[in-house]
Amino acid sequence: MTQVIEVNNLVKKYNTLTAVNQISFQVEKGEIFGLLGENGAGKTTTLEIIEGLRKPTKGQIKVLGHDAIHRPQTIKNQIGVQLQASAYYNFLTLKEILELFASFYEKHLDPMELLEMVGLKKKANTFVGKLSGGQKQRFSIVASLINDPEIVFLDEPTTGLDPLARRNLWEIINKIKQRGKTIVLTTHYMEEAEVLCNRIAIMEKGKIVAIDTTQKLIENAKNPFEIDFEVDNLSEEALTKIEKLGILDKGIGNKSNTYELHLKNQSAVNQALAILHELNLKSLLVEKATLEDVFLELTGRTLNE
Amino acid sequence: MLVKMFIANLKMTVRNRQSLFWSFMFPIMFTFIFGFFFGKNASIGNVALINQSKTPLAQTIEQALNDNNLFTIQKEDNLDDTKDKIKKNKLMAAIVIPENFGDLEHEAPKIITVLYDPGNSQANAAITGFLNQFLTATNYKVQNAQPIFSVSEQKITDKNLTYFDFILAGILGLSLMNSSIIGVGVGIAQYRQDKILKRIVTTPLPSWIFIIAEVLSRLVINFFQIVLILVIGTYVFDAHIYGSLWAIFGLALLGAILFQLLGFVIASISKTTDAAQGMATAITIPMMFLAGVFFPLDSLPKWLASIVQYLPLAPLLRMLRTVTLEGNSILENPINIIIVGAWIIAALIFAIFKFRLNEE
Repeated sequence: MTQVIEVNNLVKKYNTLTAVNQISFQVEKGEIFGLLGENGAGKTTTLEIIEGLRKPTKGQIKVLGHDAIHRPQTIKNQIGVQLQASAYYNFLTLKEILELFASFYEKHLDPMELLEMVGLKKKANTFVGKLSGGQKQRFSIVASLINDPEIVFLDEPTTGLDPLARRNLWEIINKIKQRGKTIVLTTHYMEEAEVLCNRIAIMEKGKIVAIDTTQKLIENAKNPFEIDFEVDNLSEEALTKIEKLGILDKGIGNKSNTYELHLKNQSAVNQALAILHELNLKSLLVEKATLEDVFLELTGRTLNE
Repeated sequence: MLVKMFIANLKMTVRNRQSLFWSFMFPIMFTFIFGFFFGKNASIGNVALINQSKTPLAQTIEQALNDNNLFTIQKEDNLDDTKDKIKKNKLMAAIVIPENFGDLEHEAPKIITVLYDPGNSQANAAITGFLNQFLTATNYKVQNAQPIFSVSEQKITDKNLTYFDFILAGILGLSLMNSSIIGVGVGIAQYRQDKILKRIVTTPLPSWIFIIAEVLSRLVINFFQIVLILVIGTYVFDAHIYGSLWAIFGLALLGAILFQLLGFVIASISKTTDAAQGMATAITIPMMFLAGVFFPLDSLPKWLASIVQYLPLAPLLRMLRTVTLEGNSILENPINIIIVGAWIIAALIFAIFKFRLNEE
């Protein structure tokens, strides 16, 4: 695997605030790399420094072998950028905007083909203002592909979309990957990172607290197993037994009779199930830990609080 | 790139109907308003005439009043009604010719009364001036005398100039200043707020191409604004333009470039669209009154005039008037073009160092 982005000891300070604090990571060709974290964790700042939009305080960045900090112009032809909550010209049609942006680059793809790829061919002669939220976002993503870039940067591509539109966008992002592009995206949706990303860096207060493949992050969780159950009147005796096996969270979702038990290994799962078997359970579910559980362990909090 | 960007800008300008409408409506409105006040056929207002005399002299006066082009005569009968109308500003003044005025009999009245509101002494001066002149001539005739001393009026130029001619150059400058400073300042700030500028920076498009395309597309609109003002001014209100049209268009577009640069200065220091709007208004409104759009700077106190003559709009208007009113060269008084040049260079330097498409 060749590395298309190398970030070394990147620091960005605004007066007293350290937005990005000594982070290093690499992105490999052809993968979807995710920066996951809550708002203000430094994801967008990191992304915009790599894109050449912001100057870092310290550190080195190489994009496709070029120094991205001192020679940002050299890489602009080879990257595509979708900004967080960016608007496009109001009085140009989708096709005209793509044609205009195409003229900025050395090489470009066919605007109509791109619009077809995201299901906006019928809207080619419509103004951006007339599109729905999901359509706007799809257009914003496809506009970043106009120069047939090597690397595509997507900043919170699905924020503010309904679940259906989000899934639709995931498919589009996968299509881009299948074209052999490298994708770097930021998100604060756990599910999105888990579904889309090959590798994830979890950011917290300007630092990377964990970085690995999505699968390994979940497998390496302290408690990779989880049992969800629902029971009325859990006896003191049973409660103490269960609490010895793992970490028990009570009353998730405002229900006082539901429990979430996080467990270290298979044998703990078996023991727990044996105890629970004796109880009069209303429901029982055994599952793998999710990225959200990993995130909770690492940062001690949930996202979107 | 430049051509595509320029064409795209033009398309957007033409499609933004509301904004396009106002960029033409504003100069049209100003030209019409000032044209109606000061253009051809403009009169001070309506003046009532109460003629109670039937003598030939009274008839001649009435005829002369009807023929004058300073004010419009409106016949009235009732004195009290007329006084009331003057108080309510429905009439400027009233001229009362008493019964039997003009009879050469001894007892016949010899005095014409002019009634006016003290708040409108300008109208009074015009009316009494007119009547005095008429009656003096009549007096001489009656006494069979010849005037010994008289005034001969001579204009320094043989050109026929009106206040409207003076103000037309002002309207040109004012319209270009408003549409350029506010248009660029607010327009670019809006692009910034919508992150369109940031999006542009992620592409290889050089900033200067973006800026040149913006300036050029706005100059096209400015060109049509100038045409509109000159056409309405000359064809509807008979304005007189003596200088070369090339010089007028050249000067006006030079001014538009200067004001667009000031717009970029505003866009580079204002963080939001609202701030840009406020700053643009704070610059254009005082300049409108202090740079000689509506009246010559000589009527200001000397110390103030010596300062405001350097405002960007002031030298531009002086040059425009040199061309339109006197038909002279722009370079007649080179200090003007030097001031404009200095402003352009200053704004350009500021914009080069301060204006960034992308700000952290």
